[in-house]
Parts: sequence; C-alpha cells; structure tokens
Amino acid sequence: MRAAFVVQRYGLEINSGAELHCRWVTEHLKKYAEVEVLTTKAADYITWKNHYDRDEETVNGIRVRRFPVTHVRNPERFGRLQESLLHREHTEADELKWLDEEGPRVPRLIDFLKSRAASYDHILFFSYRYYHSYWGVKAVPERAILVPTAERDPVIGLSIFRDLFRTPRAIVYNSLEEKQMINDLSGNEDVPGDVVGVGTIVPGRFSGEAFRRKYNVSEPYILYLGRIDENKGCPQLFDYFIRFKRDSGSGAKLVLAGTTVMQVPSHPDILYLGFLGDEEKFDALDGAEVLVMPSFYESLSMVTLEAWALGKPVLANALCDVLKGQCRRSNGGLYYENYPEFREALNLLLDSPRLCRALGENGRRYFEANYSWEVIERKYLSLFTRLDGEGAS
Amino acid sequence: MDPNKIEIDYDRVDVARIMDQIKEKMAAESANAPDAPGTPPPGPPGQESPAGSGRMRQVLLRLMSPLRPLIKLLILPVDEEYRRTFLVLDHANRRIDRLEKDRDRMSGELDRLREYTKLLHHLCHNLVVELSKLKIEEETLKTKTRVMEKDFEFLGKREKALEKEISK
Repeated sequence: MRAAFVVQRYGLEINSGAELHCRWVTEHLKKYAEVEVLTTKAADYITWKNHYDRDEETVNGIRVRRFPVTHVRNPERFGRLQESLLHREHTEADELKWLDEEGPRVPRLIDFLKSRAASYDHILFFSYRYYHSYWGVKAVPERAILVPTAERDPVIGLSIFRDLFRTPRAIVYNSLEEKQMINDLSGNEDVPGDVVGVGTIVPGRFSGEAFRRKYNVSEPYILYLGRIDENKGCPQLFDYFIRFKRDSGSGAKLVLAGTTVMQVPSHPDILYLGFLGDEEKFDALDGAEVLVMPSFYESLSMVTLEAWALGKPVLANALCDVLKGQCRRSNGGLYYENYPEFREALNLLLDSPRLCRALGENGRRYFEANYSWEVIERKYLSLFTRLDGEGAS
Repeated sequence: MDPNKIEIDYDRVDVARIMDQIKEKMAAESANAPDAPGTPPPGPPGQESPAGSGRMRQVLLRLMSPLRPLIKLLILPVDEEYRRTFLVLDHANRRIDRLEKDRDRMSGELDRLREYTKLLHHLCHNLVVELSKLKIEEETLKTKTRVMEKDFEFLGKREKALEKEISK
C-alpha cells in the first residue's frame, strides 16, 4: 500500500497543530505502508515564505517532496479580505479569492497530484482551510481522505467548504463534536469517516521535582501550555486567575509556557517561562496540579491528551464544545463557563488531591482507550481496508 | 442536600454531576447575594440618616443624572451579558445549522419529486400519443371494414346475377 500525506508545512522544527499531527501519524503508519509527504517549502504559517531549499529530503526516514509557494501572503491584506468576507454579502468567487490569499499557493503540488495520483492508494490531506486541501481534494477526490482538524471558527461557514466536505472519499475527524459540526454544516453524513484523533509521544523519563527545582517553584501551580494568544482565551484566564487569587487567598501559581503573541500581565503569581522543549514540557506537566485550557476553539487539544496521558486533571473552558465533551466523556476534568464556576472548580481541584488523582486516573484510562498509538493506527488501517474493499467491489 | 456542599463519589467520579452541583451552588450563592445595584443597602439597626444628608444625596443624584447611562454601563455585569449573548448566538447558530440541514434534505426531496413529476408528464404524453395512434388505426380499420362489406355485398350481388345467367 502506498499513501501520500499532504500538509501545509512539514519538518522537525514545526512542532504544533495539524503539522505535528500529520508528522506523527505519518511516522506511525510508516511500518504498515510505503508513505511519503507532499508539502510546501514554507516554514512560517503567517507569510508562507519559501524557507527550505531542497525539493526532496528524508525526515525521520520518510521521503518529503517540497513544492514552492508562488505567492507570499500579506497578513494585513489577508486580514482585511477575511474581515470583509465574514461581514458582508459575498459570492463564491470572493471565497475562492480569499482561499488564494489564505494560501499556501502551491500550484505545482496540485499538478503533481493530478499527474501522479494513480501511484498512491490513499492521499491524506491535513487541515481543510488551506489551498492545498481544497484544490487537492478536488483534483483527486476518489483517493482523497480529508483530516479537517476543524474548529468552530467562522471561516468554516464559507460555502466552498460545504462542497469540500462532501467531496473526499473519506473523512478522519478529531472528535465527535467536530464530526457533528461538519455533518450539520455540509450534510455529508454519507461520506465515510471515523473519529480518530491523534496520540502523543510521552518521554520515558520526566520529573516534576526537577522542573520545580529548576524554576524555583515551591507552591502548587496550575499550568497553561501553548501559544499565549487572545484567540486561545488567555486574557480571560489571566483575569479569572487574578480574581481567584484575590477572592480565595490561595497560594497557587499560574505557570505559562509557550510562544507569546500578547502581553503577559505582571503579577507575582503568574510565571511565564517562554517556550519549553518536549522533555521540559512533560516535567512541567508532571509537577502541575492541574492543566488549564481556556481556549474557545479547539479541534482536539493535544496538550489536554498529554495531561491525561500523565494522569493529570484538566480545567477547561466549557464554551469550547470539544473540550467540554472530552471532559464529560473521560470524566478526567472539570470545566467552567464563567468566573464563579472557574473559582469553584479550581478551589475544588486544589483542595482535593483525591479528586485530582481520580480525575487524572480517568483521563489516563480514556487516553489509553482512545488515543494510544495502537488504537490510532488500528483505526487508520481499518479505514484504509474498508475503502480498499469498497473500491474492489 | 446542602447546595453549598459538593458531594463526590471518589470511586466513580462523575464530572457532569460535579458540574451540576457547582452550578447549583453558584445559583444558591447568587440568590443569597445582596440586592442588585440601585437598591441602597440597609443601614445598621437603630440608626437614622440625618435629613441634611438625604437632601444632599438628592442634589448629588440630580447632578449625576446625565451620567446615569455611563454609570449603569460600568456597574452592570456586562461580561455576563456578553456570555449570555454568546450563548444565544451559539444556540441560534446551531438552529441555523439544523434548519440548513432540513432545507438541504427537503431540497433533495423536492428535486426527487420534480424528477418524478417530469417522468409522469412524459408518461402521460406518451399515453396520449399512443391512444391517438390507436384511434386513427381504429378509424382506418373501420373504413377498411366498410369498404370490404361493400365489396362483399357487390360480390354477392354479382354471384346471384351470374347464377341467374347460368340457370337461363
């Protein structure tokens, strides 16, 4: 079996979101199939500027074909275009113009797919909202498997995507909520698909103690991992945490790690550590009482799964239906809709190590049953087998 | 059950139940909270406010009346309004999703019915054509029958005439 994975960026230095998701799935399916990656030469997702020189290389034993981006994105122009698209009446041609501007525009990748599609049994496209997925799925619908990694953001309502979700041979969803949303939007119930998601790679050794020593954190702390961004609900988290400290008198700290695109408030109990590598990330998780996820829009939240893999409870924003659904299905975390609920849930977690242990244990069981790599690999392989069977008949 | 106490079965933790209890506790707390802004808090028992300060208060209130909308905006729990609006919009979005789904389904059904009607129309048309052809054929056959009857009559007469000639 030959499978191609098509994604907007690919490389060891790109370690988040759909790109990491794609790399992990590719590396895990390598033992079952001949896999290769078709991607762009871009490394920066804001401008899609060509960064990699070589047309072909091997990354962790996988052949990666890179295609040049023909148009560098101008973030300001794109922002204006999107704003006007989302708030004014528009035509399908406007949406396609937006897609062109969204990029990464790689016509040679689409031409390659058209000419070489027959040499692959399955072609998997990651992230529905980019140029490569839209035109790629349209070019080879009979072999296309779409992994949308869709969040409940307004762009998903564009009419071009309704058609896109009805086009591929199959769809691999990240969560039940994502599937429901896409089914509701596009009426694509007849397109085969499964809720699969992605696993995680937990290092063999991690130590919360080492983390506490290194960063001199002796108090209990709640941890936020990820981009510190308004879109991730960080301003609300800062506000709630500062109010929580004032109201409860708790000694807990808020530890943040990740790249930042907004100002972190200066507060003695808010500790920003910058970007952490994988090992330190798991050390930080191991030492934390709770992982907090304030994001409004998530397709899956890999960091939540990582917390559960380590048996840590989660406190999530209930206005994100995926996070709330995951917490309820796993019984591995509490959630909040407003400040009083945040305060009460956090108090409950910080005051009750027994509850934290029980929630963490539930989370770990849920992770092992649904997101361990054996489960993920089995789901992908059974989808391939099913599609091969349908194709043969 | 005391709404201020959250009961947890640690052997079988049920997150939904814990969250329901938290919500109940929050509701009970807000019900017991002091009156809404605008209602003055009751003073200590046995203490009356002096008449002078009451008059001053009225003057101050009158002076501040143009700023009342701004004060209201600052005092009111706007974030709660935002949250509610967000939930209402989310609900509306879901409803729109559902309605769109229904519309698509009905549009599919409508297309099917349209095709069916077209087929029925074609069938009726073909039946009319066939019936017309049959009618014409029937007329032709009737005419032929009449001609043959006349021929037969003529032949009969001729036969009798010939028989008469022979018998002479």
